[in-house]
Amino acid sequence: MVGLVIASHGRLADELVSTAEQIVGKLPAVATCNIEPGAPVEDLRAKMKLAVKAVDEGDGVIIMADLFGGTPCKESLMMCQRMNLEVLAGVNLPMLLKANSLRSEQMALSDMANQLASYGQRNITCASALLREAQQQPRT
Amino acid sequence: MITLVRVDNRLIHGQVVEAWLPHLKVSRVVVADDEAASSPLIRAAMALAVQSAIEVQILPLAQVDFAALSKDGVRTLVLLRDVASVPFAFQHGLAMDQLNLGNVHFGTGRRQVSPSVFLAEGELQALQQLSAQGVRVEARAVPAEKSVDLPDLTERWSKAG
Repeated sequence: MVGLVIASHGRLADELVSTAEQIVGKLPAVATCNIEPGAPVEDLRAKMKLAVKAVDEGDGVIIMADLFGGTPCKESLMMCQRMNLEVLAGVNLPMLLKANSLRSEQMALSDMANQLASYGQRNITCASALLREAQQQPRT
Repeated sequence: MITLVRVDNRLIHGQVVEAWLPHLKVSRVVVADDEAASSPLIRAAMALAVQSAIEVQILPLAQVDFAALSKDGVRTLVLLRDVASVPFAFQHGLAMDQLNLGNVHFGTGRRQVSPSVFLAEGELQALQQLSAQGVRVEARAVPAEKSVDLPDLTERWSKAG
């Protein structure tokens, strides 16, 4: 199974995982990494390595970082040169839920990462505009 | 064909869309609820959350043809807002082997029997009657969770008193 690491500033990563678990139940092979204010980057680097190791079952790991260009993202990118790793930035709840379910399907790690990036984007919508459209042409 | 009947006071929401629909592989979701059916806004918002390959029906409880849903070949999830609606649906031809209690919120006289289910005495009795008629009753918020069956729910209910 592909491992998942959520890396963020503050407690976002932990909260994303616990929120996802409220919705779909316990997520297997998932680890989180937070960077806390004032903590040295070396600490995060060490934590990230441990997290990746903890969830790597041999099928590779996808790291989902909160912010493109942020420290969690940058540190993840440093690791992906040497390991079977893909890094996504801009993690959101739909992306995490999809990542969890996609793992039961056979696909290359890079394909999975690409699919997740577009899925995460697709789920950012102007929901109120969609609702107005749906009210024009009701399904039910 | 009824794949699952679920009591959930939130009807269509995240747990249903993200966890139950992929798990059950249903092609139809029927929400039998007067309040939801009466609001075009709620109907549109709920239907919007379900992928378009799945048919969504949101109807007042008394207008649902439960017998027809039970007989055709379309895998169906039926959502009811409260326990009180279940005996009504059952008497009107809803064929079910299993009843799932998802979210039943707290209210006066209700006691907690699982993290997300609170039952009043009359509701517990209604569930026991259904169980006596061969329906397996369980509390389970999401498919990955361990289900808690009626005997355990009954015991928890007495202890919570």
